[in-house]
Amino acid sequence: MNKIKLISTTLILVMGLMSGCADKTQRIDIHHDTGDQVMGLDYRDFNQAAAEAVQSMLKSGALNKKGGDRYILAISRVTNDTMQHIDTDQLIKKIRIELLQSGKVVVTTAVGIDGAEDEMSSKARELRQNDEFNQRTVQKKGQLVAPDMSLSGKILQRNISMDDGKQQVEYYFMLSLTEIKTGLAWWEGETIIGKRGSGKSVAW
Amino acid sequence: MKIYSLVFVILIAFSGCAEKSYVKIVDSSVSRYIDIEDVKERVREDGLKEIQISGENETDEYILLRYRVTWKDKDGFDIPSISSNWTDLPIHKDAEFSINVIAPNEKAYDYQLFINKQGD
Repeated sequence: MNKIKLISTTLILVMGLMSGCADKTQRIDIHHDTGDQVMGLDYRDFNQAAAEAVQSMLKSGALNKKGGDRYILAISRVTNDTMQHIDTDQLIKKIRIELLQSGKVVVTTAVGIDGAEDEMSSKARELRQNDEFNQRTVQKKGQLVAPDMSLSGKILQRNISMDDGKQQVEYYFMLSLTEIKTGLAWWEGETIIGKRGSGKSVAW
Repeated sequence: MKIYSLVFVILIAFSGCAEKSYVKIVDSSVSRYIDIEDVKERVREDGLKEIQISGENETDEYILLRYRVTWKDKDGFDIPSISSNWTDLPIHKDAEFSINVIAPNEKAYDYQLFINKQGD
């Protein structure tokens, strides 16, 4: 009986100690993140790529429309050609927000490479034949605005094994801004982010 | 050169009291490696303010620093921008360097540019 008591007391003590040692979850201070780099892509990499792209676009003057008007920008295909399950919106959304705030661009959500990003622009027009809706409040024909420019791109990953057993991972953020009327790319940008670490690290 | 740089930084620091735009080296140890020699600003034809900070690395070592810029409108209100995140600033040994940043929009009037060590 004493043995059972001793064993159970020891178990409780060990479990208590172990739970006390468990790492606590901490929230990242994204404004001052001194955490170690990871082999995969994290938010710091997307921030850097987006910031470089926006600065380069604004400096190029490709978004300066005559008369100070805004260009209508459509988001075209942005391919994730990495080994990671990432949503390319992690990059594109930051660029869209910054370009919108620049006052030089308005992004259309009514046109997209796989259909409208926001289908409500079309859905709301299906109310034209519906007698339940006041037809004066339904959008008239010919109100949607077609895009002038298109933003497309690719995120590419290359893994290279090094002689010392380490691994080098290169990420390429490649973007193009095309004038839809002529099909000419008025701006193109590339940001390269390279990481080197243990060959055992997994970059996906 | 060092005295010139020190005077320049002091002038910028004092002008910071009167003006709302300034360049600041956050960690004083960085001043031992680099000199800020010129700060230029202009308003481009498209209405965006552009700033350029020029300097020199007087050591014979490559240094990786970082910088960030915050923008304010004429009334002193912050304008959120992706350029307020730290950006790497590679400076080659015995070489000049420049930081060129464009304002996020036409309302951006004043700026504060911070230069610091990596990881601080």
